[in-house]
Amino acid sequence: MPTTLRIALLAGLLALLSNIAVIGFIYWRTHDEALSTMRRQVVEQGKVLSDVYRLGGKAALDDAVEDTIAYGDPQTVAALLNRNGRQVMGNLGGVPVSGGGLQEGYRNALLRLRGQTTAREAALVVHRLPNGQWLVSGRTVGDGLALRETLERSLLIGLIFAGLLGLVCGLILAQYVGRRVGNIAAVANRISARDLSQRISLTGTGDAFDRLSQQINAMLDRISGLMEELRLLTDSLAHDLRTPVSRLRAAAYAATETEDPAEQEELLTRVIRQADSLMRILSAVLEIGRSEALTGRNQFTWFDARELGAKLAEMYEPLAEEAGATLRYDLPSYPLPMFGHRQLLSQAISNLIENAIRYGLAGGEIRVAVSRADGRIRIAVSDRGPGIPSELRAEARRRFGRLDSSRSDEGAGLGLALAEAIAHLHDGELLLEDNEPGLVAAVELPLRRDSAEEVPLSLR
Amino acid sequence: MGRKILLVEDDRETAAYLAKGLSQEGHSVEQAVNGQDGLFRATDGTFDLVILDRMLPVLDGLSVLKALRAARIETPVLILSALASVGDRIEGLEQGSDDYLVKPFSFAELLARVNALLRRRESRLDPAEHRLTVGDLEIDPLSRTVKRGGKKLDLKPREYLLLEYFARNEGRVVTRTMLLEQVWDYHFDPGTNVIDVHVSRLRRKLEDGFDKPLLHTVRGAGYMLAA
Repeated sequence: MPTTLRIALLAGLLALLSNIAVIGFIYWRTHDEALSTMRRQVVEQGKVLSDVYRLGGKAALDDAVEDTIAYGDPQTVAALLNRNGRQVMGNLGGVPVSGGGLQEGYRNALLRLRGQTTAREAALVVHRLPNGQWLVSGRTVGDGLALRETLERSLLIGLIFAGLLGLVCGLILAQYVGRRVGNIAAVANRISARDLSQRISLTGTGDAFDRLSQQINAMLDRISGLMEELRLLTDSLAHDLRTPVSRLRAAAYAATETEDPAEQEELLTRVIRQADSLMRILSAVLEIGRSEALTGRNQFTWFDARELGAKLAEMYEPLAEEAGATLRYDLPSYPLPMFGHRQLLSQAISNLIENAIRYGLAGGEIRVAVSRADGRIRIAVSDRGPGIPSELRAEARRRFGRLDSSRSDEGAGLGLALAEAIAHLHDGELLLEDNEPGLVAAVELPLRRDSAEEVPLSLR
Repeated sequence: MGRKILLVEDDRETAAYLAKGLSQEGHSVEQAVNGQDGLFRATDGTFDLVILDRMLPVLDGLSVLKALRAARIETPVLILSALASVGDRIEGLEQGSDDYLVKPFSFAELLARVNALLRRRESRLDPAEHRLTVGDLEIDPLSRTVKRGGKKLDLKPREYLLLEYFARNEGRVVTRTMLLEQVWDYHFDPGTNVIDVHVSRLRRKLEDGFDKPLLHTVRGAGYMLAA
């Protein structure tokens, strides 16, 4: 499986890189540490020797150099050179200190000691004595080097091990990931093969794979729900269109049969009316579908929710009066700016008002209230009719859901479904509450706080 | 008075039906069956009105409209469309069409809108009238006062707007949908007789105490204000 291999290689490479970083750091620190210790020792030794010269003169220095060579450890370097850089006494193996002449101070150099065959790295201090001679003292890197070589070898072996271990870990990890992803893919495959009831089993650990599986399962639930809803909708659409279509057909047929022109005209008018009501049903279904699919958000604008409520209440006031009800408004004294689809929201609220007029009790009061609380705008329409018992409220929201099947003349049972879809378009919801007695149908919409656009001056 | 109308419609049955009806009203109708041909003829600029189907072969209606407006041809355009959603209507109007009619529609509705658009073109050429009169009815748009037979009528703001719209379309049929769109700025169909109630209230205020009716109901179409 190439993906598994890629993951394994990647894990191995990452392990190797992180180990190189750690080991490199260790190497750099120990190397540095050893060198600075040696430097301290070398500087000290040079200082002692030049002190001897200052206090005891040339003879004392010669003795001290001899003693240092004789009794010091084999790494010690000590020599006196004449003005031209030739060794007068000391343990240098005949090689001049370095090219480019002598200079006072500390330096690292490669040199060979007397009796040795290879040049070694050494730390040296060079002093110029007042008599013009050069005093060279220092240490070659001996045991320190050996230790370092061991260390370096171990580090290298460690590095190889780290790389191999990383590779093995990577393989195990890749196997695990591959198995978990494979499970999900297998379920997805079965779902593609049209078994939408399949769900991914969870391990119960709540890890990232479980969460992914949960998300996918939730998505599948939603899809099944939507498909079920779509099936119901298609069924009810077919059912609900059957009645007006057969009425239309009957009227059209009767019109072809009759001889009386007045009756014929009346029948044809009825045909047109039936066709119009069919169109209205189709438009409403279309509008609901569009709102649920969230199209139309590009037509959102800023407007005053108070004005929206006032205008609709004013529009329906005479109609309510004809129906024997009183329509009252309950509006704030300040504007309520909101960002949304003014036309669709107007349509949603007009549906609620029409329902209130249609089902509210004659002589009752219909109230249109616009308010703001908890970062939400609420547009509520309440009536004093029979209300909707809580167990029937879900049915009332459903497309083509009609509570009283005897009232087949009015509406197609799409008003509340459309209002709800429009509320969803605005990330809001449709609430059905008890008005004791009567119904409160309210659309509650969140105020947009994340909007990049500012509330226009005219609405502040 | 006959006018020159360009009809861009690919459905032959609809096109023939509309062309016949508009010709009977005295207009001369030229037809195009696809968007490209329609655009080509409309750029000529001599038409008084373009009736444009939204879904057309070769070039769709909104593209034709956009191209026309980009070429600074300001001939009024009435869009016909089977796309009935509120969003589609608003989109059509935002693209620079002067009116938008959803299929299926009655010929009376189309004719009322065609007449209103042709009339608007006339009044666009004329400077705005300062005072509107219909028979013994006088409307002053500046002070928003209405008198009939010298007697001042007490109208609510919305009733005034309704009357002013009727008066600006004096002698022409105005449909319920036109009133809803023009007076209330609503582009949806409320499905109730809410407009009829407003019109009958306005009629009562206009005609109570007078013999001669002013606001007439046109069966199957809408209303008309005429002396």
